[in-house]
Amino acid sequence: MLAPQESAALASVVGQPTRATIPLNKLAPEAALRRLELAIVRRLEGFLHGDHLGLLPGPGSDANDARMYRPGEDDVRRIDWAVTARTTIPYVRDTIADRELEVWGLLDVTPSMNWGTEGVTKRDLGIAAIATIGFLSQKMGDRFGGYVMRPDSVRRLPARSGRSALYGLLRTLLTEPFVPDHAPGGMALADAVEQLSRHQRRRGLRVVVSDFLTPGDHELDPNVEPNWERSMRRLGVRNQVLAVEVVDKREIEFPDVGDMLIRDPETDFERYVNTGDTGARARMDAASAAQRERIRIALRRAGVGHIQLRTDRDWVQDIARFVLAYRRVASLLHTPPQGVEK
Amino acid sequence: MVIPLLVAAYIWASRRKNRRGMRFTNTSMLDVVIPKQSQWRRHLAVALSLLSLVTLTAAFARPKTTVDVPRERATVVLVLDASLSMQATDVKPTRLEAAKAAATSFVRTLPEKYNVAVVSMAGNASVLVPPTQAHNTVETAINSIKLQESTAIGEGIATAMRALEQAPKDPAHPNSIAPGAIVLLSDGSNTSGRSPLQAAAEAGKAKVPIYTIAYGSENGYVDLDGKRQPVPVDHAQMAQIAKLSGGQTFSAASLDELKTVYKNIGSAVGYEKAQREVTARFAGYGLAFALLAALGAISLGAKWP
Repeated sequence: MLAPQESAALASVVGQPTRATIPLNKLAPEAALRRLELAIVRRLEGFLHGDHLGLLPGPGSDANDARMYRPGEDDVRRIDWAVTARTTIPYVRDTIADRELEVWGLLDVTPSMNWGTEGVTKRDLGIAAIATIGFLSQKMGDRFGGYVMRPDSVRRLPARSGRSALYGLLRTLLTEPFVPDHAPGGMALADAVEQLSRHQRRRGLRVVVSDFLTPGDHELDPNVEPNWERSMRRLGVRNQVLAVEVVDKREIEFPDVGDMLIRDPETDFERYVNTGDTGARARMDAASAAQRERIRIALRRAGVGHIQLRTDRDWVQDIARFVLAYRRVASLLHTPPQGVEK
Repeated sequence: MVIPLLVAAYIWASRRKNRRGMRFTNTSMLDVVIPKQSQWRRHLAVALSLLSLVTLTAAFARPKTTVDVPRERATVVLVLDASLSMQATDVKPTRLEAAKAAATSFVRTLPEKYNVAVVSMAGNASVLVPPTQAHNTVETAINSIKLQESTAIGEGIATAMRALEQAPKDPAHPNSIAPGAIVLLSDGSNTSGRSPLQAAAEAGKAKVPIYTIAYGSENGYVDLDGKRQPVPVDHAQMAQIAKLSGGQTFSAASLDELKTVYKNIGSAVGYEKAQREVTARFAGYGLAFALLAALGAISLGAKWP
């Protein structure tokens, strides 16, 4: 007897799933994640006092520039004696304000995400990724909000701070109604990313969870930009962006299931395919690998962090490994374009 | 009536957008990598199974059809004189009874394959039994012949020729007359109708020999309305009829020689329309279609090693 979650995932292979495949309490090991810290390398702006480096001067722990002491305005205790001794003019050292982090997660729930062959649908794996990153960035005062990308509209879930608010957000994501197959609406990932970067002007962390597949796009050349690359780059101008690419095992290793009618949940593609053909499967696997390589290169070009999660692997482990390596490379990776403050 | 519905349902199901199948997300790549494969095997299997359903249903209804049954065309036409003169008792018990007995025994000696027709001849001649292989029917018909007035031997021969035409047709030559012979049992005196010699000549032209058997003696008589009427047998005319048509004449004594009649008839096979049940044929087709459909379905689903 299968667990209800697993049977829901199996059902997603032939029809649209009817329920979530990961329960709320299994989304992320909250306690274990407290030891990890997601490196935030971009400067933030906000109202509140937080744990992250801000963009503007203010009361904080990090030293900024030295400036001339203004009698009556500045505290004598803040005089930088080393600079004063060299210049013989009294100087004070400013500090950068410590600000709270605002995280916005964009979750793709288009029908192609309602699919998963390994006991978990891609959509629920994406929710789990948002949960894991959410718990990683639960420092004091940090807020977490969500955008849900449906084929016809983008739904905004307001950003709030605290772990109970994060649980509320995750529950809302899990109970978000499933988009039926071939639902009308031409929302592309690029539109949703544009909307996110237009609406949320305050600098922070952005997490884009999708499979980064465009229906009908069969380009394999990595030098050709996918249509979401430009908007991802624009999002990365002011924000630190993490792209979570959700992949199913069977998207990389094409299954051998005999002669099969294969339908696309989004386009009207419908074809009998002899999946027993070894040569065809090898070609398909090679094409998928090239496609994933193109996505990886495009994300790298856009200057965003890239995590690939697979439905047949432990996402917490994958994210933890990413976070550990990310500490060293994040400042390089997220170098803003010329002329933009860090 | 269900069959067109099934066909329509199949077409509808294959056109349907929402049919069951494996969902797959990366079909844009699949579209490029794997060429579209033709679906004729699938449609063929469905068509074959539908055909087998049709034929098996038809077989269940036990269909009948008119088929060409091969039949021997060779025909012996027995022409029995049923005139009042055959009442004469110079041949025991009467001329007619003797002729009937001779005809019956002749029919019994005939091999089963020959067709026999019976023509009764009096003032006018009529075909009692068209050419048939059911010799029992022929015997019954012979025994039911009743006496009538006057004798028309020429008419009898002409009617016998018409009876021959009713024999099964040869498909290659529908107008040719069947190989046959006429056995004329009579006392020989023509009293009405066309000339027997002319009819005999026509029969000879059609290569139908007439074998004549004369019954009676020179001093035969019948009692009609209390008047005694002599009815001598006309041996000469009977012999002439036989000679003109290329046959032989026999006496009542030499009946065993009648076997030469059917020995000389050539054998020819004709065809006849008959209603036959063709359930087996339909069932066979249905089975064949079902087997092919099953093989097609297996070839679709099975992974050959």
